Amino acid sequence: MLVVGIESSAHTFGVGVARNGKILANEKSMYRIGTTGMIPAKVAQFHSENAGEVIERALAVARIEFEDIEGIGYTMGPGIGHCLQVGALSAKTIAKMLHIPIVPVNHAVGHVEIVRHISRLKDPLALYVSGGNSQILKKAPGAYPHYKVLGETFDIGIGNMLDSFAREMKLDPAWGSSVEKKAVGGRYMRMPYTVKGMDFSFTGLLTHSIKQIGKENGRDICFSLQETAFSMLCEATERALLLTNSSELEVCGGVAQNSRLREMLASIAKEHCARFGFVEKQYDADNGAMIAVVAEKMLKDGMAVKIGDCGILQRYRIDKARLAGA
Amino acid sequence: MRKIAEGAEADVFKAKLFGKAVIVKTRKRKKYRIRELDESIRKERTRIEARVLERAYSAGILVPKLLGVGSFSIYMGFVGGRLLKDTKLGSGMYEKLGRILGRMHDVDIVHGDFTPANIMIDAGSAYVIDFGLSEISKSREEKALDILLMKRAIGKGHYASFVKGYESSNKESVGIMRRLASIELRGRYQVRTLA
Repeated sequence: MLVVGIESSAHTFGVGVARNGKILANEKSMYRIGTTGMIPAKVAQFHSENAGEVIERALAVARIEFEDIEGIGYTMGPGIGHCLQVGALSAKTIAKMLHIPIVPVNHAVGHVEIVRHISRLKDPLALYVSGGNSQILKKAPGAYPHYKVLGETFDIGIGNMLDSFAREMKLDPAWGSSVEKKAVGGRYMRMPYTVKGMDFSFTGLLTHSIKQIGKENGRDICFSLQETAFSMLCEATERALLLTNSSELEVCGGVAQNSRLREMLASIAKEHCARFGFVEKQYDADNGAMIAVVAEKMLKDGMAVKIGDCGILQRYRIDKARLAGA
Repeated sequence: MRKIAEGAEADVFKAKLFGKAVIVKTRKRKKYRIRELDESIRKERTRIEARVLERAYSAGILVPKLLGVGSFSIYMGFVGGRLLKDTKLGSGMYEKLGRILGRMHDVDIVHGDFTPANIMIDAGSAYVIDFGLSEISKSREEKALDILLMKRAIGKGHYASFVKGYESSNKESVGIMRRLASIELRGRYQVRTLA
């Protein structure tokens, strides 16, 4: 089945094309956040202006015609309402024009599944780290197969924390990868460290780091902030790995692009003889391919939804999303 | 010394001291984190764990008896039996567990990782082990988190018995359970209702 997936939950408008699990295209256009971050209405406008072009580019890369599309999926949530609407509308329009089945996809499921799919993992423990989310997940089989949240952030996602700090530091672009670059060669200073079992929280660490700006060397703050936050995630993940007795570990989501975090998790996986799954960066950042891959599985499992019922859900929790093919 | 358990944080060994079986718990160096952070976490947790163990023991809660403390190691009396996570128990036992946690909270001990992996069942008695993430705190928030962890780890029926036991043994339980309800609405993207 040839399926197109559309992702537009935040700064990225992404279009992926997949056929029988093989990714044929993964094109995107990304709103430049500069030093101000995302302004919902502006991002949505950016997406509407670029949607057509990205779709055409994806079809060209996949070497298929518009009429070849046999099914479509889009991100239903979680995400920014304005932005989600653009992707949902694009998908519904294509479904209507071509009379093909359509399915709404949970954004977080997309992130976890694309890494599982590409790394060929069976039943991994997943650390999902992005702007809005930081969760430790494991598939729960049964009558309603879904990802169970074993642990998560009690306040903000780690990406959001790094981005907020980057804005305060006036880094450009103001997001995590700029903090990563700046952290190189820094020295460690003590910062608040909050882990509760398999849950964690980041606001205390954020406030503390912001207060150090101007007092301490910027490189040292970035370094300590990263080390502390990632150590928290790793401690919770290691605990979950042992509790669930998992033989596979994956990291996914935008912050999974960070090489220091990958290095730390790889070390944990190695210590517990677990296979470590990670993917190239284009599949960690928000992308359409992950939606296409999940949508294809869902459509094949008869989970298509009537166009009239295809809405968005800004707070669509991953544990509320039913998975295809248990 | 023989290694008998390997936790996420520490290795647990069984050894003999003056002819008696003792447990040595050593916090392992974690290669994933930098040395300064690693050592400060391990030292601090070892120190707090020892203090909490002593307090729990004096309060009459079944815990391993504290024998000695080093920088990264704690020496304790041996506790036999099986972990709760590897055991099938009736509701009565979960009610008892609820009472134990209720009593711990009454003397302001917050466990920090109160899951079936940290309860030892020996001849019908439940021993609480691994106070590695514990604190002495009056905070209802922290106490509610102990209950939340157990809730997530056990089934609905057992949880009901657990809460029954907890409420019967803790003076502050109404406030703590209310706090728990508010925490559960706090995760990302939860559907929130106004209380």
